[in-house]
Amino acid sequence: MIKKTFNVPDMHCTNCSMKLESIEDALPGIKEINASYHKQQMTVEFDETIISEDQIIAAAKKKGYQAVLV
Amino acid sequence: MSRQKKSAIDPVILIFLGIGVVTIAVVLLAFQSQSFAVGADTSSAGQIALAFITGLTTGGLSCLAVQGGLLASSLAHQIEQDYVEQSAQPKKPGKKNQPPLPRQSTALPILLFLASKLAMYTLLGALLGWLGSYLTLSPTTRAMLLIAIGIFMVGNALRMFNLHPVFRYFTIEPPKFITRYIRQTAKGTDTATPLFLGALTVFIPCGVTQAIMATALGTGSIVLGAALMFAFTFGTSPVFFIIAYLTTELGARLEKFFIRFVALALLILGFITLDGGLNLIGSSLSLQNLARNLIPSNNISASAANSPQSSISGDELVLYVENSGYFPSTLKAPAGKDLKLNLVTDGTYSCALDFLIPALDFYQMLSPVGTFQVSIPAQEKGSTLYFTCSMGMYTGQIVFE
Repeated sequence: MIKKTFNVPDMHCTNCSMKLESIEDALPGIKEINASYHKQQMTVEFDETIISEDQIIAAAKKKGYQAVLV
Repeated sequence: MSRQKKSAIDPVILIFLGIGVVTIAVVLLAFQSQSFAVGADTSSAGQIALAFITGLTTGGLSCLAVQGGLLASSLAHQIEQDYVEQSAQPKKPGKKNQPPLPRQSTALPILLFLASKLAMYTLLGALLGWLGSYLTLSPTTRAMLLIAIGIFMVGNALRMFNLHPVFRYFTIEPPKFITRYIRQTAKGTDTATPLFLGALTVFIPCGVTQAIMATALGTGSIVLGAALMFAFTFGTSPVFFIIAYLTTELGARLEKFFIRFVALALLILGFITLDGGLNLIGSSLSLQNLARNLIPSNNISASAANSPQSSISGDELVLYVENSGYFPSTLKAPAGKDLKLNLVTDGTYSCALDFLIPALDFYQMLSPVGTFQVSIPAQEKGSTLYFTCSMGMYTGQIVFE
């Protein structure tokens, strides 16, 4: 398991952080996502053997957000 | 064939019309009670009406942005089920594009969600009002609270304008365990789920809701706190219902279009609240006092003008306390000697009765009819004493020359 932080500059309310956190329910290999509207960031704890950073970025994009690895 | 379809009216339209009628009735009732209720505190009725209109205009969209996703996810399974049922319908030959049946089952969960939300926010309003009753002990405390609420509202509006990252801290992020719990509950499909989710929205209030919550806290009354939150949440319901029913995608688009409108409305409300707080501490920086000093006018009401009494007679001043404020709003008085201020009421029922002079730490709830005398100690030449109602809405000043 590794932990990576992504900048998500287009979050505009606390519901956005909830939406991003819901990715953890949809993608296998993700243990936990902590998204913060205040910081405009999300921290993802995931198994890199199952899922890649690009897949996480793609999942965020599908939710309507541009995630950029810090 | 289409006979049955023509006669069947979508229950959602009926419910929507029902909500619309009730909404109009509540607005009319609020304004009517403001005009005719004898003995009632008209400022409370005005506050409730304002909360309702805020909900109806800006609150609905703002709430939808935060809580709409919850409702949408709880409905998703229902919609999916409907779709499966409709797909399973045998298609008649020669009818390629058969119109889908109305989603009768979608309206009920939305209504349950909204009803539950309404009940919870009303309870929350009562709780905040009760808490506020321990906080609003003096006009000064109330002033501080109003200023804090005003700053919070303005900060939230500036956050919506995306002016600076620091303004993001004007909204409260719900703890992770709550958002996770809500998310997982949203996956349920039973009738209890929308009810439960509606109740859970109390943990994820939008910026405008948080501002109204702060106002409910400021009322210091269980009944008024509950009424404010009820009026606001009820006001949000039509927009919430229509948009949630039509499509949550539209909600997201609307949010982008209207976010600035919501922010502007919140900014104005925030400045009004802040101004009320400044009036309550007798600040010369409040908009009303600034305007009065910049544009001097001897405004006088019809009844005050027709009165045989002059506003200044010897060592006595006369101030007419009326439903629409204090007349004249600027009194000129001689400096360096003790004075008596006569507060005259005649069928006054507005919050103007709740009279205070912050600099003298004087506070009095006047009777609707009669005269109350206040002793004003000698003041320096060129000084000004500001007076106001307890809400900071009606104001005036005594200028010592």
